[in-house]
Amino acid sequence: MSRDRLWLGILRWRGVALVGVAIVVTIWLGATNQLILYINPQYIVFTLVMALIALTLLVASFIVRAAHTHDDDPPTRTQKVTTVLGGAVTLLLAIAMVIVPPATLSSATAIQRDVSASTVVSASQAVSTSASVASSTYATFTVLDWSTLLRQTSSPGFYASKPANVIGFVTPDADDPANLFYLTRFVITCCAVDAQPVAVPVYLPNWNTRFAADAWVDAKGGFVSNPSTKSSAQIALVPSTVTVVAKPTQPYLF
Amino acid sequence: MTSPVLEHRDEDIDEPAKRPRTRWLVFGIAGIVALFVARVLTSHPGTIALPNQAQDFLTLTISVIIESMPFVVLGILLSIAVQVWIPDDLFLRILPKNPALRRVAISLLGVLLPVCECGNVPLARGLIVKGLTVAESMTFLLAAPIVNPITIITTSQAFGFTGGILIARLLGGFLIANLVGWLFSRHSDQQSLLTDTFAAECRMPPRAEQAGTRWQKSVDLFVHEAGAILPALFLGAVAAGLVQTVVPRSILITVGSNPVWSILALMVLAFVISICSNVDAFFILPFATTFLPGAIASFLVFGPMIDIKMLALMRTTFRTRVLVQLTIVIGLASAVVGLVVNYVA
Repeated sequence: MSRDRLWLGILRWRGVALVGVAIVVTIWLGATNQLILYINPQYIVFTLVMALIALTLLVASFIVRAAHTHDDDPPTRTQKVTTVLGGAVTLLLAIAMVIVPPATLSSATAIQRDVSASTVVSASQAVSTSASVASSTYATFTVLDWSTLLRQTSSPGFYASKPANVIGFVTPDADDPANLFYLTRFVITCCAVDAQPVAVPVYLPNWNTRFAADAWVDAKGGFVSNPSTKSSAQIALVPSTVTVVAKPTQPYLF
Repeated sequence: MTSPVLEHRDEDIDEPAKRPRTRWLVFGIAGIVALFVARVLTSHPGTIALPNQAQDFLTLTISVIIESMPFVVLGILLSIAVQVWIPDDLFLRILPKNPALRRVAISLLGVLLPVCECGNVPLARGLIVKGLTVAESMTFLLAAPIVNPITIITTSQAFGFTGGILIARLLGGFLIANLVGWLFSRHSDQQSLLTDTFAAECRMPPRAEQAGTRWQKSVDLFVHEAGAILPALFLGAVAAGLVQTVVPRSILITVGSNPVWSILALMVLAFVISICSNVDAFFILPFATTFLPGAIASFLVFGPMIDIKMLALMRTTFRTRVLVQLTIVIGLASAVVGLVVNYVA
């Protein structure tokens, strides 16, 4: 009996511990403005309000105990084995949630999600009327804006005298990794799990002697016919300057 | 050694309010503070450097948990409201007596309780405890994430009426939920569809008849439901994160223009990505240029009902055999919805 009681106690406290971890991590990410690494900013308030309600109930559960403890039936052997296995996985994940520093998705996911074949479309008004906007507007275009235009037209004439200034991280091109990289950002609808990579090809011979994959860079230059013969991209950004920069506080586009 | 502990525990049960559990409060708060301290101390980038793929797996997994958590909490709060605060027979009294009409009414409950799918699991559990049959509760669980004002608004914002996607989603979700409800209502032993643990819980006296104040019962139910749902959510998130890190997306995209394969590909994507029904329309919108409208409709019907995370969550309540049957029936029916849309559009 006592072993079964101990077992039920462990099950109860496992749930409490997991709630605690999820709440603490959520509130800490919210307090340090890092929830945007995991979810779209529009859900931050809702997420934090629910985390605070859950925290209140969790603390209340330390004080209050219902008069009737509805113990479940003692578990079978198979249930115990699966619970222990599942418990080990959840425990590892809970520890990792607490001790591994938060990070943005990397070029590994950009490649896995086929960065060169993205179909995400910019909602920017300036992009849809891009033929007629002032040249200063182009400097404000994001990677998403440019990648939308690159999918619409590959005529080099269109890109003449349209200066670009874009920030993103480096994903090596699969066909010409020495000379071409994709300057990449992730677009997030709801949370990082639905992140879709958008990118512009950048032609910079031997770029990997200056910075590594996943480095955040600021590239200034213009779009021309892609000088690389191995890469499949028709138009590429040939930069006049490429500077390594710190990761932006809002690394994802929404 | 054990008996004094048990006696002590029984005393505690008899007089719950008289003994404030100061010791547990101190332990509990110390635990929460320790978690905060550990998180702050290890927060500096580079403290623990993982390889790219491992780090991305972790980021994806954590994002599933952080995105789902508020909905799970909301679902548990609604389940507490249904089980502890709403009069026992209210739900059963206002629902029609005819079984089919009753399921139709239940499948429209999502309009009043707009929680998306992970929050619906604790709520559906609460409804079963409250006296709804398993089949009726399933109808609610499957229909509510689709026939729900937020989902309807976001889907119409994303697609309008093009390709009949919005209509197909609403009608398809409604019909499939009622089909599944009807199929499982024909099972003579409803309780046998449930896991042993949850079936035992349903045999307990209703919470309103148990001793203790409503607040005590609410807090206790929160801990109990969180204990059942959270391990499942963590495991579901691990599975979803793992599959997303391992399976290349290009495999799915290459089949986009085939009327049959495109439907299956997007259903697999929906299964893998485990995204919330309130926003999945925005996620799938960019794929509309590559995939046929039927495939998009199948994604939007299948995803809210069945995905990796939902199966892990539903496993807290239904037997594995039932989940396999559910997946097959809903998968086939969602594919039919897609084929009809592709044929008509």
